[in-house]
Amino acid sequence: MTDRDDTTRGLAAHFDAARRHPARPSDALMARVLADACAAQPATRPSRRPAAWPVQLFRALGGWPAVAGLSAATLAGIWLGISPPAPLAAVAAPLLGDPGGVYLVDLAPGATFELAQEGR
Amino acid sequence: MAFDGMSESSDEMLLLRYAEGDPAAARALTERLTPRVMAHASRLLGDVAAAEDVTQEAMLRLWRQAPHWRAGEARVSTWLYRVVANLCTDRLRRGRGVALEAVPEPADGAARAEEILQAQARARALQAALDDLPARQRQAVVLRHIEGLANPEIAEIMAVSVEAVESLTARGKRALAAALADRREELGYADD
Repeated sequence: MTDRDDTTRGLAAHFDAARRHPARPSDALMARVLADACAAQPATRPSRRPAAWPVQLFRALGGWPAVAGLSAATLAGIWLGISPPAPLAAVAAPLLGDPGGVYLVDLAPGATFELAQEGR
Repeated sequence: MAFDGMSESSDEMLLLRYAEGDPAAARALTERLTPRVMAHASRLLGDVAAAEDVTQEAMLRLWRQAPHWRAGEARVSTWLYRVVANLCTDRLRRGRGVALEAVPEPADGAARAEEILQAQARARALQAALDDLPARQRQAVVLRHIEGLANPEIAEIMAVSVEAVESLTARGKRALAAALADRREELGYADD
């Protein structure tokens, strides 16, 4: 190794002394460097907390345009259910059948017999 | 490495946190890196006042680089050594400053005064000899034998081959040894 050469013998002690006695920054320099650091530092980025669930749902649906369309469709459906226009009722009647027919269907014929026996 | 309350964090991690606006990272990096930069600059320049200027400028460049730092691309210390070397080269081209008063007063009261004085004398003598070396030899010797870096990292900092680093270091050491040879007895080598 070069460190063991006669020509460089003794340098290790010098290097060791230099390591143990470095020039140290003054307090004023440390203060200036820290001031530079603070001045040059980018602004803190705002923390991103998760939004509340209604807000997340609102965003998931697509924001105001989608929610407005969805609301209008919902209201129209309710309105048609409550007060269907005459042409729609005429079309729907054959599909839905006679509401009175529901009462003519005996879903549990045996129950009538049992009830009659209990009432005796 | 100086204790800074974030000693577990790497320089790069702290730099990224600094770029995100963490004020604690700014303080930790300042306390960790400024003494190292100052020590290195003073060894290259042999002038404390100029070394302080270089230190402040190098650190300012680091702060400005932080938002653009690419993780894993380079070591922060390597980048800083390179910046310090460039700034010192500019300074030396403009002319040398006043004589070095780099060696501080001893802080360790427990150590024997004679040993401290001898070590300070050796450090001063080494610095005087370093000041007379060509800048590249001085840089290579300081990085290798005082900062303790490996030759490949020095080669990266100096933008030369590893062989060139070895050559610069060897020539620098021979020159230092020759410069210090006449002061061996004065500097206490009789008992080494």
